[in-house]
Amino acid sequence: MASDKVLIIGAGPAGLEAARSVAELGGEAILLEQRERLGGTPDRERYAKLTHHWRDASDVIEEMIQAVSNNPRIEVKTQAEIKAFSGSVGNFEVQLEVDGAPETLQVGAVIVATGFQHFDPGRATQSYNYYTFPDVITLTDLEKMLREHNVVRPSNGQPPKKVAFIQCVGSRDRRLGNEYCSKVCCGVASKQAIEIRQQLPDARVFIFYIDMRMYGYWENEIYWPAQEKYKVNYVKGVISEILQKGDQLLIRGEDTTMGRPMEVTMDLVVLSVGMEPSAGTRAVAQMLGLRQNPYGFIEAGGAGGVDPVATSREGVFVAGAAAGPADLNDSISSAGLAAARAVAVVRKALALV
Amino acid sequence: MTTAVQDILERKSQAVAPDPKRAPTHDIRETLYELEAKGEIILQRVPEPFVEVITKYGRTKRIPIEHTWHHKSCGQCGHIPGYTSSVYWLHRQFNLDFLDPTDQTSCTGWNYYASATSNAVAQAAVMVRNFAAAYETGYFPLIHCGTSYGHYKEIREQLVHHKSLRDEVRRVLDKLGKPLVLPEEIVHYSEWVHVMRHRIAERQRVDLSMLTATVHPACHYYKIVAEDAIYDPDIYGGQRTATVTATLEALGIHVADYSTWFDCCGFGFRHILVQRDFTRSFAVLRKIETMKQEVDPDLTVTHDTGCVTTLDKSQFAAKAHERKVGIPVLSDAQVAALAMGAHPFRVIQFHWHSTDWRPLLEKIGVDWRRYWEEFQEDLEAIRAGKKAGITWQEADQPVL
Amino acid sequence: MPTTLDTWHPGKPVSRHPDVPYEEKQRLFLEVKNDPRYEDFLYGCYECGICVSACPSARFYDFSPRVIAQAMAREDVERVYDIIAEDIWNCAQCFSCLRCPRGNNPGGLVTLLREVAVRNGLRETRDVLQGYSRVIYKVMLKGNQVSPDMLQPDFFPDWGPWVAQFSANMAVWRKAIPVDTLRGVTDAAWKTDRKTLLELYTIWFETGNMDIIKEVDEGLYDLLMDVMQEELEEG
Repeated sequence: MASDKVLIIGAGPAGLEAARSVAELGGEAILLEQRERLGGTPDRERYAKLTHHWRDASDVIEEMIQAVSNNPRIEVKTQAEIKAFSGSVGNFEVQLEVDGAPETLQVGAVIVATGFQHFDPGRATQSYNYYTFPDVITLTDLEKMLREHNVVRPSNGQPPKKVAFIQCVGSRDRRLGNEYCSKVCCGVASKQAIEIRQQLPDARVFIFYIDMRMYGYWENEIYWPAQEKYKVNYVKGVISEILQKGDQLLIRGEDTTMGRPMEVTMDLVVLSVGMEPSAGTRAVAQMLGLRQNPYGFIEAGGAGGVDPVATSREGVFVAGAAAGPADLNDSISSAGLAAARAVAVVRKALALV
Repeated sequence: MTTAVQDILERKSQAVAPDPKRAPTHDIRETLYELEAKGEIILQRVPEPFVEVITKYGRTKRIPIEHTWHHKSCGQCGHIPGYTSSVYWLHRQFNLDFLDPTDQTSCTGWNYYASATSNAVAQAAVMVRNFAAAYETGYFPLIHCGTSYGHYKEIREQLVHHKSLRDEVRRVLDKLGKPLVLPEEIVHYSEWVHVMRHRIAERQRVDLSMLTATVHPACHYYKIVAEDAIYDPDIYGGQRTATVTATLEALGIHVADYSTWFDCCGFGFRHILVQRDFTRSFAVLRKIETMKQEVDPDLTVTHDTGCVTTLDKSQFAAKAHERKVGIPVLSDAQVAALAMGAHPFRVIQFHWHSTDWRPLLEKIGVDWRRYWEEFQEDLEAIRAGKKAGITWQEADQPVL
Repeated sequence: MPTTLDTWHPGKPVSRHPDVPYEEKQRLFLEVKNDPRYEDFLYGCYECGICVSACPSARFYDFSPRVIAQAMAREDVERVYDIIAEDIWNCAQCFSCLRCPRGNNPGGLVTLLREVAVRNGLRETRDVLQGYSRVIYKVMLKGNQVSPDMLQPDFFPDWGPWVAQFSANMAVWRKAIPVDTLRGVTDAAWKTDRKTLLELYTIWFETGNMDIIKEVDEGLYDLLMDVMQEELEEG
């Protein structure tokens, strides 16, 4: 028997927005989350400011959670895991385990919003020694310190005087098999560089990059202010090695503008780690039989390539970073579209019955 | 300490071991098995007993313990013979079956990298001729030279990817009456030392715990076909090859880090022979002086022909210019032999090394004069025609 | 196989070697490009500078693996000729540049460029290899790059008095090695079977390696041919 319910897997920004949109369209949503808490990666990784509108991530995510909580059209299940999946559009059967107890659901459509995970810097092609040197950190590590307004060198608890960001760590790298651009790291690093300059006005900040991908309004809202107002130094040339030199970090690269090798010391080095499909995205893609691209993200686009939320399985849609690198705007936009598509197929299936 | 800093330090203590299922490269061995199944090549299997090690992307590699065909290094045999004799001495100490062939040429890769007076087909044919010679004996190749090891791995990739190259090489090999043979794994001797390190440590006679060493990992060992080198999460957090460093640590030597560990030694292939201003400057300014300033080690240890030669021989001219040099240079095999008490001159052949090694031996309590006098008696007897040379009977016994 | 180049010169092409016809420079580039390994060695370059950072020669010479990759990707015929004539011999062939995130192999490109320079007997190449002939002689005939008897004070003055000490004692030091294949051998690295060397000579002939030697040093070629042919005839 056909179901009018839409199952949404993952309660990060994309999943939360998809659930809200399904409800607003008059549909019935079931929102699954494997963690105890809603909010996804921005919550788990304790993000600080968002690149757009410069708002605290916690405020924004809290608003999104509020929009789905106590909503009569949205049923939220946390600590939930999918055990089996069968059926077809309009009539899927899902075996779950919720907080340890088995459950069976009948749903008409599914939106996968299982997101990404940050690249593990231990796999970097270049020699960055994340696990060896305490003062080599990632964007997510720095994000947590910015949120606490306490940016320090983990080795000694002192505020850094010189900070370097290294771009494209885990992205745009054939040797790793991650040929794609992670899309957000240029903007996030520049945003963080500004925040460091706001919180530690005496610190000098450098960004070592291949290309700065500051598309759209990131150019005028972030890149130019970073250079012009906050005096962040941008150097074209990526770092090949981070080494210990006394109690400082020595970084080595080529200043390609000047065409010569460079070696400079830093107090803190931030690796701009890219995005990879989360373990949840990989597992759910397998469980639901969705085609994945070579990088493990869920293949989207539909037959014509212009349906960015369609997957290889009819009635199953994808939203947010489960389909590939995405920023918050991308995720929310695709979540809205996925919600519209899901509600539409459910109604169509019911009408046929 | 704040929550964020705690979180960061906590995460840093949990390095993730690489997952072979997510290796970014195709496992070339799978293609080798396919080519074997099609009858295109003969694939020589790693003989038992072997030890499995983990390589860069988390794959396993089999390292044979014995029944090995020793693919010698021309630079080691020619200019650092204690390198070769230490490898053999170790095998003899453990009563391992091995073959030291005379049906072997060098890989000729040194010349290729120096002058390019060869081509891809010739280089591949030289390699396969050696592999076919090993296959005929039933012994499995163990490659002594880092450049041969790297060069052979690169040629193997080219042979696998280009059928035209396979066909050309087969045509040449036909003329020699030899088949197209490739070994299942290309194995470097330092990987053998690596898997033997605990057995060597069990029979260690000389305490080396007062020593601090720096390690120079050989470029052609871990930069060419990088995925095939040994990595270990417990050594450098799995971020650099564990070969050599793990061996030294097993022998109780303190391995200290220095900031130019990634730099090459300055060998340059042609530079070491005809343009040594580059070699000397690079070896001294980027490697030896940096080690001296940052660590002041008792010795530096590496695992390739060119690196030992370059780092050792380049120090004389720098010393004349009053630069901060003077670090003895040894291979891991020589250090292992030293630990097990090998004769410093009959086996390790210290006298072929130019940078002063006497302070090193004195520091570990070895009265080198005594063994040098003994060796001088050997030389006198040889000069007088009383004996043809030193034999294993005179060299096998650990003396330290 | 490509027969044309999609050349782009930024601005007016500047030639540092105007004596060499443009067509000749094009021909040499095509020879490099037609090597089957070329497509595995060069994908594209986004100028991250990793290769230069890792390169020992870039610290010592005016040498840039990035410029080599970029010039070849642009198929800049003039610049690539400059590289063939001048830059390639500065490379240390350590392959540190293999960590290129694009998967390029700048060191391998240098190898291909060198092969073409040698095969075509470029004047600059012959000059560079002049002092190196005795090494080629050894490796072609003995299958070993070096031998103890090459360690002579005249050739290694910068290695200090050790070389003289070694030279004076070579014969006896060499006998004082317990390894059977090394003991007493001074003109090669180890004792090699005659049959093995004949097989090696056959490889040199069958793969066109002797023609390569002829291009760079005709005198050396004649010398090698005399010895090898005589040996092969004796069988």
